Amino acid sequence: MNTNEIPLPKGLVTVNDPPLTARERKFSRLLLFFEDIVKVPLFGCQHCGECVLSSTAFVCSQRCPKQLRNGPCGGTGDDGSCEVYPERTCVWYKIYFRSQLLNRMSLLYKINKVHNWNLQGTSSWLNVFRKRIEAPIWFVPHDEQKVKGLIADDAERED
Amino acid sequence: MTLKEKIESNRFIVCGEIGPPQSCDGDVIRNKSKHFKGYVDAVNITDNQTAIARLSSIASAKILLDEGVEPIMQMTCRDRNRLAIQSDLLGAAALGIRNVLCLTGDHQKFGDHPEAKGVFDLDSIQLIATVATMNRGFLLSGFEMKKAPAFLIGAAANPFAEPFEMRIIRLHKKIQAGAHFIQTQPVFDLELFIRWMQRVVEMGLHEKTAILAGVLPVKSVKTLLWMKEKVPGVKIHDDYINRMKQARDPEEEGVQMAVEIIQTLRGIKGIRGIHLMPALWESITPTIIKEARLDMTN
Repeated sequence: MNTNEIPLPKGLVTVNDPPLTARERKFSRLLLFFEDIVKVPLFGCQHCGECVLSSTAFVCSQRCPKQLRNGPCGGTGDDGSCEVYPERTCVWYKIYFRSQLLNRMSLLYKINKVHNWNLQGTSSWLNVFRKRIEAPIWFVPHDEQKVKGLIADDAERED
Repeated sequence: MTLKEKIESNRFIVCGEIGPPQSCDGDVIRNKSKHFKGYVDAVNITDNQTAIARLSSIASAKILLDEGVEPIMQMTCRDRNRLAIQSDLLGAAALGIRNVLCLTGDHQKFGDHPEAKGVFDLDSIQLIATVATMNRGFLLSGFEMKKAPAFLIGAAANPFAEPFEMRIIRLHKKIQAGAHFIQTQPVFDLELFIRWMQRVVEMGLHEKTAILAGVLPVKSVKTLLWMKEKVPGVKIHDDYINRMKQARDPEEEGVQMAVEIIQTLRGIKGIRGIHLMPALWESITPTIIKEARLDMTN
């Protein structure tokens, strides 16, 4: 096995491109007011400004005590409880079963980028519009084949 | 032969584990290292495990290196942001540390400083990708370094936590990010572990990374019960608890159990080695290695 050939995920960090201007920040605050009306009651939005809801089957991953954006830690209980706050359900446990229900499993294989803390508290709608962050994925057609493809792709690359 | 070369060749790997002390006494590590030297391929150095402040993993790894034992430095995301992680990794590389195990880290709530701010700037998968990026000569800022480190990247996997299938997806992502080897949580439920390994082999993941199964020898039934209740994500089959309860000499039974688990693990397809975690019982390592016939050939 050659350990140097494992491919890297492209674009590991969300960078400040284009940079947030003072004017944009003001506008962002206004937009966030409306975003909050939708996202806080529905998803318990934590205002990361870098929304990954569409890849997490519309369960906010930022509610995890460790703010994990790429899957559960090793502490999920048998009943799906969070190890830090046992009275809560692990958000990734919810994400997994909701993804199954909504046929969005292929999105769980995606590596979400390192969070840009400059975007914390800004409107992700604006950030999507300004192409700082990826646009949400609304529909995932042929989810099952996609998962199979993802796994097969890796097998090919190895040969 | 370094751990990297051993993983690239097809030999069976045995790793150990040392927890640094809650003091500045480096001799604790030097003394513990004697139980591993010549018996295992490399030794993990934990990084403030269970969120308890201890002698740093970099310093401990350097002490091990000076003792002639190859260290695997654990690096968690709980205590450092991306600046500190990268600078610590560069420092470790400069000291000659070649192996790093990337972890998210236990939540600070479980440790001795529950009031602390948990950082979690990166998660374990992003940390793996960060180390892989550094290996290619770049920092996360995009800065190209004059000299790149050459870390062997490790990651952890827990086959025993729910949801089962999500664990496979996460393993897939870790390999995708660049993990060269995987250490699993201690195996106390062989049935479930075999089921997990079957899925891993089915997906061909065992060919892309070296999977080292965790083995934790226990001294008493008390430890087993404590782990079952207090350590999240550890599943312990009732057979083991009953065996330890009925044992005349629990220590001997503990060794016997570990040896049996190792021998079963060796026969499972896709297993490249074991990761022995004799927590607070380092002195038992040589006995287990000998009884399980894992004696080193180097």
